Amino acid sequence: MMSNSSVDAANKAGIKTSCENHEKCMRMIQAILDGEATEEEKNHFRDNMDVCMPCINEYHLVKCIKESLCNRLERKTCPENLINTIKLKLDLL
Amino acid sequence: MPVAMSKIVKEESTDDQRYHIFNKEFLPHIDSMYNFAFRLTMDEDDAHDLVQDTYLKAFRFISSFEQGTNAKAWLFRILKNSFINDYRKRSKEPAKVDYQEIETTYNSEEGGEVQQTVDLRAHTVQDMIGDEVANALNSLPVDFRTVIIICDIEGFTYEEMAKILDIPIGTVRSRLHRARNLLKEKLKNYATSMGYDT
Repeated sequence: MMSNSSVDAANKAGIKTSCENHEKCMRMIQAILDGEATEEEKNHFRDNMDVCMPCINEYHLVKCIKESLCNRLERKTCPENLINTIKLKLDLL
Repeated sequence: MPVAMSKIVKEESTDDQRYHIFNKEFLPHIDSMYNFAFRLTMDEDDAHDLVQDTYLKAFRFISSFEQGTNAKAWLFRILKNSFINDYRKRSKEPAKVDYQEIETTYNSEEGGEVQQTVDLRAHTVQDMIGDEVANALNSLPVDFRTVIIICDIEGFTYEEMAKILDIPIGTVRSRLHRARNLLKEKLKNYATSMGYDT
């Protein structure tokens, strides 16, 4: 939720503080961040994303979640004994 | 990959050729496969068995693999199907969500302009440690967890995801969107309970 001071600052800067198409915009933002957006979606993003505060916030939130999932989760290494077991069982097939 | 550039492993391939493909194209993905299996089962022993079953199936059905195509996606598809057919039935996860029902409900809501905004800020997520994000991910129903894993952690394209999951690309988009909204809700709840400024 935006604070009153944030709303005032956004209004003064000509930035929308509510989005009438937010559900549609969320799907477009997802496609942009996943590298799956169409040219039309990319153009719409370029033309509109710096004038709508809910969409700007959504973009940064989804981007941050994606980066956290990609970079901060523990990646396990497959145990060596599992690799050896698989190779041994292949010989029995 | 154009058909001309790919090559189906022939039934009459020699053992040496099959082992060569297995070692060169399949084994390099074993860490990703193990992580995927672990995030699906949330149990190291089950992940161990699931990866082993998947690789043995991959070798057994190597004649249906087209060399030069995406081996990682092919292996992920086998693992996902093995999980559904063999492991999910005896999974320790107590409650299963009928994701098709959720998607139907969700899609039917689209026409009603229902907005699913979660009041959560990026900096709150930035403050979280990896384990907290992992806990939120692990708390999602497995079908939603799966799309996030293969998209955000493993980096598959929507087209590859559609093939792995046997669903249309439109459903990939919808399921991913729904999964991310659920993840935001989990992160928001977790952040609130931990006293983060959301």
